[in-house]
Amino acid sequence: MASIPAHPTSPAEDLSRPPHERYQAASHFKDREHEFDSVKMGVWLFLATEILLFSGMFCAYFIFRLLHPEAFIAGSHLLEVKWGLINTIVLLLSSYTVASGVRHAQTGNLKWLKINIALTFLAGAAFLGIKFYFEYWHKIQVGELPGKFFFYPYARSEYEPLWWGVYWVATGIHASHVIVGMGLFAWLFLRARRGEFGPGHYNAVEGVGLYWHIVDIVWIFLFPLLYLIH
Amino acid sequence: MSHATEFDEYGHKDHGHVIVSLFTLRFVLVALLFFTLATSGAAWVEELIASTFHVEIPQWVNAAVALSIAVVKTALVVMFFMQLKYDNPMNTIIFLFTILTVFTFLGLTGLDLGNRATIDRIKNQYAHDGGDLSAGGPVFSSDVVPGESIVERAKRIAKANGTYDPSHEHHHEEGVDITDAGYLPEKPRTGSSSNISRPIDRPTMGGLAPAHGGAPKGEPARGH
Repeated sequence: MASIPAHPTSPAEDLSRPPHERYQAASHFKDREHEFDSVKMGVWLFLATEILLFSGMFCAYFIFRLLHPEAFIAGSHLLEVKWGLINTIVLLLSSYTVASGVRHAQTGNLKWLKINIALTFLAGAAFLGIKFYFEYWHKIQVGELPGKFFFYPYARSEYEPLWWGVYWVATGIHASHVIVGMGLFAWLFLRARRGEFGPGHYNAVEGVGLYWHIVDIVWIFLFPLLYLIH
Repeated sequence: MSHATEFDEYGHKDHGHVIVSLFTLRFVLVALLFFTLATSGAAWVEELIASTFHVEIPQWVNAAVALSIAVVKTALVVMFFMQLKYDNPMNTIIFLFTILTVFTFLGLTGLDLGNRATIDRIKNQYAHDGGDLSAGGPVFSSDVVPGESIVERAKRIAKANGTYDPSHEHHHEEGVDITDAGYLPEKPRTGSSSNISRPIDRPTMGGLAPAHGGAPKGEPARGH
């Protein structure tokens, strides 16, 4: 007489195992591996559209810089390199915490996965805090605003309102991506607390991580273009 | 780096993904921070040299240094943090194709920008310094001087309010005079019409502006 197997045939049915081990791929995928690769390629296609979105802003920068270099020189001298530099470092550190979070998910170190997700969230908050409090707030008060909202009386060039247009749109859309990213990390944290991620299943950690790296890369270009090239 | 390719007790093959070692991740982080300080340091040194020796460093040097470092940093993030080095090559192809598209985009824009004036020379007559206030209308006040630029208007209002402090004219600018950097105000317009406001001969949307709009102030675009 055949003995009853010690384990159920499917890991999904064994409730003693944590959720990430019980996870099963959606029915239209061959297995979890297949699903993971498809999810990742989907995220990369989305990131391609993100790169194209930001390339519009880089293109605007390119056009207006060539047409009015004096306005861009005067304008970039009004930014404080200090805050741009600190924010660059904050975002690079957060990219590291994301990458190591993915690693901890792969190795099953769920405590450090949660810590890394939380640290990334805090880095996003620090970035926005610096951006809004030390930069945007000051610029709103002194009138360094785009186009017809401009009322800064010490402009050195007739075209400074144009420079501020490029600055506000580029950094503003970047900052909105940081806000979205923070929401995604809050969501990841809640799911990680429920034990949904582990070596067998970490699609969302990987996908959100890739998104966050692209946000970091956009800032890697915005920082020299806006703050450093005088 | 190790491949997690073991089968679990149910016979499922686990994700065969490369797990990047912590050493690699930390090394990449340190390299990224180093390049960040290097790019800020290079900009600072360039400015120091320019202002100490009163030499004119061409702007392309500044831009080339900063952007080369940004490209190196991006390569590090994409290869190691985003794991394209170890990943399905299809994702790398998607990424590279996107970059190619962006360069096509920027390249065609550059061609257009460089050649527009040769095709549409007459448009250069209508350039209006600092945009045309009467076309869009100011937001904070109703006093509009026809033909006055946004920048001139900001200065006039600050002077009228008594808040204008001439000592702030070099605000934030620690010793750097933009006219020393090779961008003299006499420099002629580069031939393009991309931000040219055409004179408006009908009432504007806001009703704030006189109907004749900002007709060209003088004959040449910038009045120099």
